Amino acid sequence: MATAPGTAATGPTAGVDVLIAEDSRMQAKILQKRLTEAGHTVRWAENGQLALEMARERRPEIIISDIEMPVATGYEFCKAVKTDPALRTVPFILLSTLSDPIDIIRGLDAGADNYVTKPYEPDYLLGRMQALLATPLAESEEAAAATLEVSLAGQTFQVKAGRQQVLNLLVSTFENAVSKNQELVVANQELSVARDSLQKTNEELTSLNAEISRINAQMVRDLTAAAKVQRSLLPADDVSLPGLEIAWRYVPCHSLAGDFLNIFQLDEERVGLFVVDVSGHGVPSSLMAVTVGRFLTPKVSDSSILVRQGADGKVVVATPAEVATQLNHLFQADEFSGLYFTMLYGVLHVPSGRLDYAAGGHPALVRIPAAGGAPEFHGADGFPIAFVPEVEYGQQTLQLEPGDRIYLYSDGVPEAMDQDQEAYGDEKMAACLDAGRRGPLAGSVGSLLEAVEAWCQPKGPLDDVTILGVEWKP
Amino acid sequence: MDQFRRIQTGKKGDIFLVLFKDKKILDDTMLDEIRTELAQLLGKASGPDVLLDFSQVEFMSSAMLGLLGQLHRKISSGQGRLKMCGIRPEIFQVFKLTNLDKLFSIHKDAPTALATFT
Repeated sequence: MATAPGTAATGPTAGVDVLIAEDSRMQAKILQKRLTEAGHTVRWAENGQLALEMARERRPEIIISDIEMPVATGYEFCKAVKTDPALRTVPFILLSTLSDPIDIIRGLDAGADNYVTKPYEPDYLLGRMQALLATPLAESEEAAAATLEVSLAGQTFQVKAGRQQVLNLLVSTFENAVSKNQELVVANQELSVARDSLQKTNEELTSLNAEISRINAQMVRDLTAAAKVQRSLLPADDVSLPGLEIAWRYVPCHSLAGDFLNIFQLDEERVGLFVVDVSGHGVPSSLMAVTVGRFLTPKVSDSSILVRQGADGKVVVATPAEVATQLNHLFQADEFSGLYFTMLYGVLHVPSGRLDYAAGGHPALVRIPAAGGAPEFHGADGFPIAFVPEVEYGQQTLQLEPGDRIYLYSDGVPEAMDQDQEAYGDEKMAACLDAGRRGPLAGSVGSLLEAVEAWCQPKGPLDDVTILGVEWKP
Repeated sequence: MDQFRRIQTGKKGDIFLVLFKDKKILDDTMLDEIRTELAQLLGKASGPDVLLDFSQVEFMSSAMLGLLGQLHRKISSGQGRLKMCGIRPEIFQVFKLTNLDKLFSIHKDAPTALATFT
């Protein structure tokens, strides 16, 4: 609240003996400090009863009292002062929220001289105090005051107040009203400014939204382009190699994945096949996947680590162990992102059914023997690629029988979590593949994917799911 | 010493004790925070001995392994030792699947792990 004009400027009255009745220690301290600074002597009581005792002990020159207090309210305290012959002419200021018209009548009834509405500025109160001290109440007038009966809100009050007292109260009430009105006007102006600013902000938001839509559209285009590049790492949908039946499924959990797989002819007799799983998801992982993919190409080139031109002009096929070791060398542990990948890479000699393979931290492949018998897991030791610098990877050999099926997959299959965080697991996976052994290869791959997706309901898989099935049909 | 959001830290002699506070270590943002906090903790130490306690962790992504690999390489290159403890079976499975149970020094609980530092 601003200092009301005409009150603060009233003559300098210093060294006044002030008594404060206030139950809030904090409020009292603030007021006391301000009054002391203005050169007044201040006493403080935390309730009306104590305040009355202090007033009787030494007559103050002015009293400032809160209304709501435990043990004698401001009204009771005021009434006691105003009916005490020794104290009755001490000016009494009530601190009120003036939330109800009845407060004014109650104040009059109690004999208060002035109101200051809460919350108040100490300076404003100081101005009121000085104005009140400048016009002391005449003892004679007090004595001559008539008793009036006032009805308000269904209650009758016996008000005995002098003319000046009534005038003081009315003026202070009116000042309060004027001051509140000014505050309202200011608040209204501020509101109007805020509304203009809100409208401006709204316009800016609209334009920002348009900008975001534009950027978003750009990102979607970029992602689509990137996803297309990733698709180029995968086999053709109708991939077909002599002596083999092939089926594969690949479901990235984001638009960009860290998984990829491929199967292709390396030379006249050998086929290369792999599943790679780069840790993490999204752009960094997919970029690494694309980079890894450049090296895993069956075309003789500078970048291929699978095949190279021999001295005799023939194609030389690298062993799986060489491929894993070389990849680990090329992808020196990335200190910035901590990205790494797991891989199972195999070279299948189609005429003989001999599969050499190496793995780097990758789940074991599953064989479903054509002769019957339980599904077998064939894994290989080896840390994930780009995890431990300069290690040598070993390789394993698996002799296939005609009609044998092998399945390579990413950990998105066995590690798929259901609602209770339970993993799908190797056993269910093997059982699912086993159940599909009499049907077509593509059917068994499809069934496994469906089983994994069903396992993860309702949210669906949180990881990329990649499955590559191969049947040897010499 | 506990000024971190993702890890709770302590010291036993010269050994840094690190407890991961999160139940789930999943997204990249969280991994970045853990990486930063570990770097702050170990920044000045050369070849420190570190014990990572996973007893609060119920689930973690495979990307967390990458972070552990970075840490392992950094600590080993400085002649320090990195050990881990309190790993639940479900999470141990992630280590096993990637053969990393053979790379990392993994112990049942903190007292068992601490005893192996001597």
